[in-house]
Amino acid sequence: MHKDGIKRWILPCVLLSTTWVKWATGLGSYSGKSSGRDTPPMFGDYEAQRHWMEITTHLPFQQWYTYDLQYWGLDYPPLKAYHSGSWIEPSWFALDASRGMETDGSKVYMRATVLICDLLYVWAVLTFTRATQATRSIRTQNLTMVILLTQPALLLIDFGHFQYNSVMLALTLLSVNYMYKGQDLIAALFFVASLGFKQMALYYAPAIGSYLLAKCIYLGQKNGGKLFVQLGIMTVASFILLFLPFLPPFASPTAIFDPVTRIFPFSRGLFEDKVANFWCFSNVVLKWRNLASPGTLVKLSTLLTAVGFLPSVVGLLRTGFSSRIKDDRNETPTTGPGPLSPLLLFSMLTSSMSFFLFSFQVHEKTILVPLLPLTLIMVGASGSVESTTWELGMLTNNVAVFSMWPLLKRDGLGVQYVALTVLWNAALGYTPFKRPRTYCQLLSLVVSVACIALHLLEFAIQPPARYPDLFPVLNVLVSTPVFGLVWLWSIKSGVEVGWAIAGLGGGNPGTSHTVTSSHPTSSSTANHANATPPWRPHPHMVHHRDFRSLSSARDSSRSPLSSFNRRVGSPPATFGPHRPGVRERTWSSASMTTRGKIPVGAGWDRPLHSDRVGRVEAGEDTSVQGLGLNLGLGEQPSDRIRNRVQSLGVSSVRKRAPNFPEGLPPLSD
Amino acid sequence: MDTAPPDLSPKASGSKRPPRPMRGSSPALPSHLVHDSIASQPTISEDGLKGTFEPPGPQQTKSSLWQRLGLGVNVESVEWDILLISTCLKLLLFPAYRSTDFEVHRNWLAITHSLPISKWYYDTTSEWTLDYPPFFAYFEKVMSIPAYWIDPRIVDLNNLNYDSWSVIAYQRSTVILTELVLGWALLKFVPGSQHPSMQRIISASLFLHPGFLIVDHIHFQYNGFMYGILLWSLLMARNGNTLTSGILFAVLLNFKHIYMYMAPAYFVYLLRVYCMSPSGEILPVRFLTLANAVILVFLLSIGPFALMGQLPQLLSRLFPFTRGLNHAYWAPNAWALVTALDRVLLKLVGKTGFDLPVNESGVASSSRGLVGDTVFAVIPNVQPFHTFAITLGVLMVFMVKLWRVPTYKSFLTALTLCGYTSYMFGWHVHEKAILLVLVPLSLLAAENHAYFRTYLIASVAGIYSLFPLLFTPAESLIKLVYSLVWGIIVLVPIQRRVYEFPHSPAFVILDLFERIYLAGFVPLHLVVTILPYALGTSKEFLPLLLTSVYCAVGLVWAFIRLSVIYLRSPNLSSHSTAAVQ
Repeated sequence: MHKDGIKRWILPCVLLSTTWVKWATGLGSYSGKSSGRDTPPMFGDYEAQRHWMEITTHLPFQQWYTYDLQYWGLDYPPLKAYHSGSWIEPSWFALDASRGMETDGSKVYMRATVLICDLLYVWAVLTFTRATQATRSIRTQNLTMVILLTQPALLLIDFGHFQYNSVMLALTLLSVNYMYKGQDLIAALFFVASLGFKQMALYYAPAIGSYLLAKCIYLGQKNGGKLFVQLGIMTVASFILLFLPFLPPFASPTAIFDPVTRIFPFSRGLFEDKVANFWCFSNVVLKWRNLASPGTLVKLSTLLTAVGFLPSVVGLLRTGFSSRIKDDRNETPTTGPGPLSPLLLFSMLTSSMSFFLFSFQVHEKTILVPLLPLTLIMVGASGSVESTTWELGMLTNNVAVFSMWPLLKRDGLGVQYVALTVLWNAALGYTPFKRPRTYCQLLSLVVSVACIALHLLEFAIQPPARYPDLFPVLNVLVSTPVFGLVWLWSIKSGVEVGWAIAGLGGGNPGTSHTVTSSHPTSSSTANHANATPPWRPHPHMVHHRDFRSLSSARDSSRSPLSSFNRRVGSPPATFGPHRPGVRERTWSSASMTTRGKIPVGAGWDRPLHSDRVGRVEAGEDTSVQGLGLNLGLGEQPSDRIRNRVQSLGVSSVRKRAPNFPEGLPPLSD
Repeated sequence: MDTAPPDLSPKASGSKRPPRPMRGSSPALPSHLVHDSIASQPTISEDGLKGTFEPPGPQQTKSSLWQRLGLGVNVESVEWDILLISTCLKLLLFPAYRSTDFEVHRNWLAITHSLPISKWYYDTTSEWTLDYPPFFAYFEKVMSIPAYWIDPRIVDLNNLNYDSWSVIAYQRSTVILTELVLGWALLKFVPGSQHPSMQRIISASLFLHPGFLIVDHIHFQYNGFMYGILLWSLLMARNGNTLTSGILFAVLLNFKHIYMYMAPAYFVYLLRVYCMSPSGEILPVRFLTLANAVILVFLLSIGPFALMGQLPQLLSRLFPFTRGLNHAYWAPNAWALVTALDRVLLKLVGKTGFDLPVNESGVASSSRGLVGDTVFAVIPNVQPFHTFAITLGVLMVFMVKLWRVPTYKSFLTALTLCGYTSYMFGWHVHEKAILLVLVPLSLLAAENHAYFRTYLIASVAGIYSLFPLLFTPAESLIKLVYSLVWGIIVLVPIQRRVYEFPHSPAFVILDLFERIYLAGFVPLHLVVTILPYALGTSKEFLPLLLTSVYCAVGLVWAFIRLSVIYLRSPNLSSHSTAAVQ
């Protein structure tokens, strides 16, 4: 449509229409809204948030975590509390007197605060999109924005149910953005802020902590050690700053325990309501509360959670170690993101999903936390419509909304639930109701049919008196396996990406056969060099025009080397043959070695007639040949890689780069 | 302006160019959904790379909104997607603000369900008595049946102001469902139009029109359904099926009598095209056919009430001549400007001491702001007869033109002008009536730049003039953002398509003024938003007055513009009567 001049209007349109959808969602009911003109409000998250604005506006810091805890005591970290103040209309937040306030004005004000806070998320998504999809068309970037900004689960909870999750997610996303840029200190600051806003960000902590640690390991003794110290100081300092009002000079030495005990409520049960995690799922058969004491359950859940996220931690550390820079020469770039960044989102997904599935006192809303990395992986997912990552991402997003149905139903958000879910899927052109061609599509179809059948059943019949919770339990039984599958999938994908980065043997498998292509159009893509993300959009979202540039640029822009190169900002010449020892080249070739196994999410599953690496050398033709000669690469690079991988015992490398690289073969084949 | 030589600019007027090969791309969607339409042309990409032509791969034929729009392979699917997405958006508006019209319609459900037909037009249980023609009453009767199944309390006559979720969801759903008539008629407009690609944009723009969103889906009425019938009738006229067109219009009249404003154009057109041969001889058989068909429709509608001898009561309900010149909020028409002028003159009299006769009740009327009857203080007062005479007089001019040029396009313009004239000079016009202008005018939007500019000004001013209908803070953002997005994705592509450079200094200045006027809506909105907080409650009518006057300026100008365009259009064009018949 750009010839009709609408192109430059697209971004404003996307932002405006997503804002419209958010605000329209907010027209509806919210958690604990009074059901009629004469009934008192029932008090829910809306009242809790309003009440916190009330107490943080009126009370000194020291009382925030102690004041009348029976009535929606503050149980968020301090940053949230700082954010809660309000000065607009005093009567809406008068201490005690305003409890249960539901005037029109105050409601619009409360909704507006969410919308304004959500701008942070919009900004984070915008920078994420611009950073990771810089060479994709504006349209693809905007589609990514639509996917992330109108995610029904997030919209329903933030703008329907009423919470401020987008702020916590935005801070985490900003942290991810900065890690991608290689600015780890700022990233750490943002992550602490995210933790400080809502403790649920803790679900990411193992991944982000071990990522930063692995980064230190990767950088080697000198640089890594330096970074480690800097990170430590930064993190501790920002935590201290965050809790300053509760620390000794400003408060009694024990005051710090007030927020801590409020934030981590181990005194509550294993799970509340019905949540689609392991405990509630298995509770159908094993009555955990009868089997073990609460203390044991806390320990058990902690243990299981740790086991759950261990693969990601180990994977990161191992990859960092095996790809570490031994050659501590000065010219080695130490400011870039390093080779570990493709692992980051998978680790975050593994870690947060393991928390969701196994940890103590999980709410159904918390599925938003694992959904963020999953959706980020999904928008980077490439391949065809049949891409498993895409399919799994869409399925999980839909199931996540479904898993919150009992909550949304209680909140009176049924219409919004239907409308937003259908809207999102329709806008992305996704439907599970098609003839399945992969196992994942089959799964998607089966699960979707189950969800809809369950809704129809619930609509049609009353649950028997013996089992009043029949439908929530059935909901859990449908949702949990999907979440468990995503958790396993994320571990598997993480391992594969780790292999791709560090090689299978953990050693230094790929020597520098960087010249993998002599693609004829490589020179035409040379000016692509400065902006090449590791992400590739779904072709679904790739417009034919992109498709053309995509195909000419082919995978040039997708290889990790190029993205690394871009981030490092070093000119292509630095990868010339006169530096055989430079680490990055080894890494990139190693990644190609296992290309058949690289998950789509990493964006590398394109056929590897990659001229990207060729492009790197394209500036100096002689060097290309020279390098090839030096390394004795007589055979076609793809053959060579396939042989190499097979020799390493990896059997499933396919001839052509498949659309379904994750190992689920197409059914119809 | 429409007579400008077509070769003045490379972007000559749309109607004179061959249709562009647009492949089903429809910008009448959120524009992020819109794809480039030059699918298979090798072009230079935005990255500055030299592109090589790649035929669309098999992956691209997968059906998705994004691709369908770009490739236009499956037009039906695009339309399904528009329907699906717009329905989702409308669902989100279920809990939005509802005007008293919601209770009006609920009460009519109750009346038609609980009372025998003989009492429908006599019931006064609620103050919202039935004052639509009988077809609408039958329509309510039909809708009351499922309502009873869903929740019997909906159709309880004494259950005033019932606002449980069941009645909200039910009534809102009926609006969405009956609006499908509009969607269907609009779809049918695309094949057979001169420029299907533009027609597709226009069709989608009408289906997603902010006017319908504000008036139907928030404020609550059934305009989508009514205009669906009107467009159906127009479609029949376009396709040469004039008799059906006339019958459908008669049906529409019996749903809502406001469409009487458009009747003159229909009368002249049907008479000239259907009942007369191109050479001007009357065809009695056709005349009788048409007359009988229309009479039959009216018999079906008011027959039962005529049999019961209730016609006077029915008419007194339909035409209550007890209201004032202006509605509470002045609809932005000519009278709004006159009223504003009167207020200004009154101030001047007060300040300068000019010796002008001042009507005391007019002074009182002005201090009351907008409530109640409008009585002028300085200017002589306007009687219903005056408005009637002015309207009729202006209409006659257009009807003469239509008589001379009885083509479909001419009919469409005359129809628009009929609605427009009534809106401009009518007695007690409601701001919602602007849809009478905007809907038929939309069909002409892409004719050429002159029409488009008129459409642009009328749409912006007309839609903005609907904003005061929704005064609640929560809906402010809804109406504003929706209208903005709609404007961008509808107006920008059509403008690009039909744009012409102004071709004389006078038009350059005119163009400049129009641009300034349009840009003025931004400061207007800021002022209108901030004023209530700055002034407090003492002068709460001031923002409304500002809105009304500013919109009236644009609407009056657009009216003049359209009249001039129409009257200056060539009398006998090559594609005249023969093409229609």
